[in-house]
Amino acid sequence: MMSVSTLRIAWRSLGRNFKRTLLVAGAIAVGQFAFLATSALMHGYGEQFFNAATGPMLGHAQVHAYDWREDRSIDLTLADIDGLLVDIRSDSNVAHASARIYAPAMAALTEDGFMGVVVGVDPETECHEAGLLPVDGMGELLGEHRVLVGAGFAKKHDIEPGMEIAIIGQDMDGSIASDLYTVEDVMWSAVEIIYALGIVMSLDDAQELLLMPDQAHEIVVHTSDRELIDETVVRLSHLPSLADLEVLSWKELAPFVITMATMVDLFAYIVLIVVFIAAAAGIANTMLMSTFERTHEFGMLLSLGCSPGRLSTMIAVEAAILGLVGVAIGTLSGIGFVAATSESGLNYAALGGSDSYEVAFKGMQFSLLIYPRIYAKDIVIAVAAILATSLMAVVWPIMRIVRLRPVEAMRS
Amino acid sequence: MNTNLVDVRNVTKDFHNGKITVNALRGLDLAIHEGDFLAIVGPSGSGKTTLLNLIGALDIATSGDVHLFGHDLTALSRRERAELRLTSLGFVFQAYNLIPVLTALENVKFVLELQGIDGGRHERAMSTLEDLSLGELANRRPNEMSGGQQQRVAVARAIVSRPRLVLADEPTANLDSENSEALLRMMRELRDRHGMTFVFSTHDPLVMAHATRVVTLLDGRVASDEVKNAGEEVGSAN
Repeated sequence: MMSVSTLRIAWRSLGRNFKRTLLVAGAIAVGQFAFLATSALMHGYGEQFFNAATGPMLGHAQVHAYDWREDRSIDLTLADIDGLLVDIRSDSNVAHASARIYAPAMAALTEDGFMGVVVGVDPETECHEAGLLPVDGMGELLGEHRVLVGAGFAKKHDIEPGMEIAIIGQDMDGSIASDLYTVEDVMWSAVEIIYALGIVMSLDDAQELLLMPDQAHEIVVHTSDRELIDETVVRLSHLPSLADLEVLSWKELAPFVITMATMVDLFAYIVLIVVFIAAAAGIANTMLMSTFERTHEFGMLLSLGCSPGRLSTMIAVEAAILGLVGVAIGTLSGIGFVAATSESGLNYAALGGSDSYEVAFKGMQFSLLIYPRIYAKDIVIAVAAILATSLMAVVWPIMRIVRLRPVEAMRS
Repeated sequence: MNTNLVDVRNVTKDFHNGKITVNALRGLDLAIHEGDFLAIVGPSGSGKTTLLNLIGALDIATSGDVHLFGHDLTALSRRERAELRLTSLGFVFQAYNLIPVLTALENVKFVLELQGIDGGRHERAMSTLEDLSLGELANRRPNEMSGGQQQRVAVARAIVSRPRLVLADEPTANLDSENSEALLRMMRELRDRHGMTFVFSTHDPLVMAHATRVVTLLDGRVASDEVKNAGEEVGSAN
């Protein structure tokens, strides 16, 4: 068992060469801070990426007719959409289920037309944080023959609220479908197709325009907890009404998100490894210098009958304290950084001197305002790893101590 | 006073430095008795410190036997020798050798802790310091004390567990005559009061003057062994 004296000697020995101790502890602290700050930014970025991917665009799961995703053919629809939604919502894990229609169309304000995409949504079921209409009251704007247009689309074609917009497309029968709508407002969306091309109208209007009564192209499902996604997808796919339909989780719909998440973790762990190597080198150097400087003292302690094991424990404890002091300072700094930025966010764009707040990737808009997130897991991993590194770093000094002969050591 | 605490028989100790071999001890014989206040003297290189190291189980002889409290030291393992040092020997070194990060009291208590003594450590260590007039310095670290004070703390550390034998290597080498005199008087008093045995390796005439027995080494052998009785009479050791 470790004695009070062992702990006392170990602790006070750190003050023998205070500058060196401060330097090593500082280096560990900086490394730990770098790891936590990087992890927090990566987590914030990853969370935003996940939310953007699984939020309004993909949802946690989707239901389609087979081949619709590849062909995007207007006639590959889900029939009896109300019945399907009732079945899906009967699952206790399902928080939201919304039907959507997507159809390419020509839009025109004057004589000149331009390409857009008609997106039919249910104003009631899309009005939630992860829906296509996340702003309160947005659903109410989608009255009969009233549409919202994507901000990018509006900007590009000088569309403003109150304008009349003509939509011309192809209905389910292959005939020309056309009608006139009023632009109720311009909407920002994280979904690129809506932001850049979207003409969003109510599901009823879209069904009427495209002759798709009680039909839609996809149902987007959000579960109450992201941990429930996989089991919910399995359960939904076993529903008799969905037997002939494709039920896919976001992981299958957007495997690149998984890749990104893996890359984020990998990047954080690379930083962690660099921190550990630096910490190990610093601690090993310090402890080796310390044991060389104290060889005479160790010889004296061995002469008094102190066992090599006890001396080794003393050195290991000294290294562990050094590591933990550094890691504590680094952890507190890291937590401080996250606390200071987690609410306001950190604007990557501004850091890079850009005015743009979003980037588009794989059909999604990502905000460059990152909200750092810190997890207890990261702190535990870093503390355990620094502790393990500290102990590994003293293997060499300890091996030297174990081989010391009292007389020879005292002669040094 | 006739019990042999230490028996050194025909001991040799060689040191190798590359191709050069130094014969530090060459067939040395010596018996140390309980209660001896023994000074080992001789010129530099005569083997004083080497002999002290062998007696103190810090080193092992190249040949011959060293018996300490009846234990054949050459037959003991490193760990057993360490245990023997811990439980039965006290060491006072030339350069004080206190643990610099501990106070005087903590330095003294540390030995008791090493010995696994749990109860009354503080009181025992404090009492030993007070016996050596160091009570007021108990909470000072070595760098806050004079050389004489540090050496007295080193003595306190050596005797706190009442070892049967205290080995002191040039204990007065770094002290002025006043401090040396005080230290030696104190050790004599400890020997008289507690029946402890003291063995010194020294060049210091003051130590020789206080010693009850003076062993002179020359070229790794005992050149003379003189016993001084209470009235400073000199006789031959057995």
